[in-house]
Amino acid sequence: MTSLARLTRKTLTATNYHHLLRRTFATESAAAKTTTASPPITPSPDRVKWDYRGQRQIIPLGQWLPKIAVDAYVAPNVVLAGQVNVLDGSSVWNGAVLRGDLNKITLGFCSNIQEKSVVHAAWSSPTGLPAETMIERFVTVGAYCLLRSCTIEPECIIGQHSILMEGSLVETHSILEAGSVLPPGRRIPTGELWAGNPARFVRKLTHEETLEIPKLAVAINDLSKEYFNEYLPYSTIYLEVEKMMKSHGISI
Amino acid sequence: MGTLGRAIYVVGSWIRGAGQAVDRAGCALQATHLFEEKVSRHRTLMNLFDKDPVVDKDAFVAPGASVIGDVQVGRGSSIWYGCVLRGDVNSISVGSGTNIQDNALVHVAKSNISGNVMPTTIGNNVTVGHGAVLHGCTVEDEAFVGMGATLLDGAYVEKNAMVAAGALVRQNTRIPFGEVWGGNPAKFMRKLTEEEIAFISQSATNYSNLAMVHAAENAKGFEEIELEKSLRKKFARKDEEYDSMIGVVRETPEELTLPDNILPEKAQKSPA
Repeated sequence: MTSLARLTRKTLTATNYHHLLRRTFATESAAAKTTTASPPITPSPDRVKWDYRGQRQIIPLGQWLPKIAVDAYVAPNVVLAGQVNVLDGSSVWNGAVLRGDLNKITLGFCSNIQEKSVVHAAWSSPTGLPAETMIERFVTVGAYCLLRSCTIEPECIIGQHSILMEGSLVETHSILEAGSVLPPGRRIPTGELWAGNPARFVRKLTHEETLEIPKLAVAINDLSKEYFNEYLPYSTIYLEVEKMMKSHGISI
Repeated sequence: MGTLGRAIYVVGSWIRGAGQAVDRAGCALQATHLFEEKVSRHRTLMNLFDKDPVVDKDAFVAPGASVIGDVQVGRGSSIWYGCVLRGDVNSISVGSGTNIQDNALVHVAKSNISGNVMPTTIGNNVTVGHGAVLHGCTVEDEAFVGMGATLLDGAYVEKNAMVAAGALVRQNTRIPFGEVWGGNPAKFMRKLTEEEIAFISQSATNYSNLAMVHAAENAKGFEEIELEKSLRKKFARKDEEYDSMIGVVRETPEELTLPDNILPEKAQKSPA
């Protein structure tokens, strides 16, 4: 058994050495060709490949602590960092990242940020107005949207994979179709439908369509309540962690 | 007093045991729909047999990001939350001072239609915006890839070039020095002014500094997090005006103060 282990260790280290050597030579030649030589990489012996805690959901920075309302559903995959305020009834779905490290992010009542979106706030906005990202009530932000320092007024729908750049303003009761890109400082007037890259006016919304917008937000709110009920108020993971520590002989 | 403390500890353990028994009863009631939480199996740095990611000690890799396979990350670079750098079929090398922002995806192509295989190379001081998708492309130093941009196989972004937000850069497109390309498919839009070019390197520096703050925060152990929670509660009600009125000088503890260099005005200028 031990001889087998020794054999495997020998073969593994041999292949590792060859690969590393080949790779260092390859990077050096590549570096000389396209980019200026970057300083050699010194890996840290302390860097862990795996942290049993996974990624923390709420990351306070200095004095800023992200606040989640008690009935807001925030998926466990989500990362909230810095000054983030998730108000009542809103939901942040899986994989989203809300990074309020340079400026504030507010998610209003009954709004939702769907899967894998990134909401960030720049330090300053080209319009000169405060550069915080403000998402007001009853807004539906579709999946994989990238929002940066924008203001979305009440009752809007932002389509999937849309990109809202610094200083953009989406006024009430407007809809942005999927994949639209708002250049910095673009304003979408009330009650209109815009689409495209860069976003262009398509048509005005009828009154019936305008009434549907908050209904969509409320429907997603109801859905989020089902998800919310699946999770216990406090995770029971600490039991697993204690078992793991005991098995490794670490005292608690 | 030792025995009293010990007695309270034992009573606490009894209550915990009782609570766990009640939890087990609840689990039994849930039967088939029961979900047992397990420790997170997410691997931040994952190796595929002998392809090991090599990450510099000064680089920030968010715990939720995935750096898989043959990836090299240089000094002062940052890989933000939710990124996936998949060096499984070829190599990815990220230079120094580069930032790969949240939810970006960097992947490599093993075979594509024209038959060439390219490793993905990202130079030094590059800013890759949120949600960008880089597939088998090369980005030279000090370039800027906007949010949500998609760079397909063989795309080549030269020094100081900018890919606008939401752009789709098709295969084997070369974006020359100092130009802005955007749209779907990506076309030449305009040339970058001098101050915009300077801004790119400045923003890379700002991001490196911000990454240090995030790195420090994510690396904190349990004790430090709890300590800061209580400090934050204590200092939440601090009001400077009132303090100066009653003649008290109360300084926020250093654990709660962020370094100055993450704010653009106060950041050091990067060497041009």
